[in-house]
Amino acid sequence: MKKELAKIADVLLEAGAMLMESGANTGRIRVTVNRIVHSLGYQVELLITHRALMVSVIDDKGKFYSSKLKRTQPHGVNFKVLSGISRMSWRVQDEDWDLDQIKQELARLKSLPHYPRWQVLLLVSLSGAAFCRLFGGGWVEMLVAFIATFAGLFVRQEAIKKNFNSYISVFLASTVASLFSGLAVKLGIGAHPELAFATSVLFLVPGVPLINSFTDLIDGNISIGIVRGTNGLLVAFSIALGLLAAMVVFKI
Amino acid sequence: MEIFDLLEKGLWAGFAALGFAILFNVPPRTLFAIWYLGALGGIAKFLMLDLNLNIILSSLIGASVIGVLSVPLAHKIHSPPLIFSIPAVIPMVPGVLAYRMMLGLMKISTHAGDAGMDGVLVDTIQNGMKTIFILLSLAVGVAVPMLVTRKESAKRIRLML
Repeated sequence: MKKELAKIADVLLEAGAMLMESGANTGRIRVTVNRIVHSLGYQVELLITHRALMVSVIDDKGKFYSSKLKRTQPHGVNFKVLSGISRMSWRVQDEDWDLDQIKQELARLKSLPHYPRWQVLLLVSLSGAAFCRLFGGGWVEMLVAFIATFAGLFVRQEAIKKNFNSYISVFLASTVASLFSGLAVKLGIGAHPELAFATSVLFLVPGVPLINSFTDLIDGNISIGIVRGTNGLLVAFSIALGLLAAMVVFKI
Repeated sequence: MEIFDLLEKGLWAGFAALGFAILFNVPPRTLFAIWYLGALGGIAKFLMLDLNLNIILSSLIGASVIGVLSVPLAHKIHSPPLIFSIPAVIPMVPGVLAYRMMLGLMKISTHAGDAGMDGVLVDTIQNGMKTIFILLSLAVGVAVPMLVTRKESAKRIRLML
């Protein structure tokens, strides 16, 4: 019995950690893990923090329990995994999956590919140009924002590949992007080059941490909401520091 | 002509949302819905701005349109609502205001005693406050519909009545 519970705890921690790492808010992790464990016929207690998860799985008579702790990896947003696990939890409930099926599905979700790198680069750069347009830039500024975003995102991907500290990779990406768009400001390319300068770093905005922070705060998970908010602010600060570096270089 | 301008802004808001969707690695089946939602939210926001509503309320309305529509979309396409709503609200992030606030802060910290700094101070505070309140209203617009319609909380509401 005890062994069975320990196995379930392992699978739950795996699912919970994957959700946390891919950008789920605390309420969603709790709901999803509960849904899985209830359809397996057990009870669960969860402790969710930013970098570690703890579960206690309890059998339905409350006689045996198994507790485990797992450290979660640094976060990188991955909505494919988030959506996959959420979908899986419904199928566990509706189709009476057993533990092995859940394990297989988690392994499959882990191995799902990301979008190809050139596609990410092109579309994110296009969104940089779109930002510039939304703030009132013309075609020339949009082109500048496109090129700057492309360069910045490229640097960020390389920095992540080399396992740099996440704030330092944001800083490097922001610096490179604003060096490109700052050059346009220095040379006076376009009517409002400062629009391209301000929008070329927007691909770095910490949207997921900030929105999750707010969701967690008003959902009653105050401590983790504060942690997420601090993380978002640090990212925003790194972006500003990168802009500052380019401004010092070009004396804008 | 106005309508054309509005639609064009919506188009670009959709593309900005799409870029973030790809960056966040969303499932391919949700891509079109995210583009559409981003465009719709952008149109709602710029329409409100056209009607002389202030930028904070306009952003709140735009984000609420996205937040409310993300819930039925989530049921239809079988993905959690935040997968649609987070990429779709990001085009409303007040990037230029935040940038201006940053410029102002730098000026204040380096040229504190100079003439004309009062104006800079007021502008900086205004830009900073606008940035913060717009970000808050984006979070409210996205998070509240998601929390209200969650199954557990809906059940609780019924018990209370």
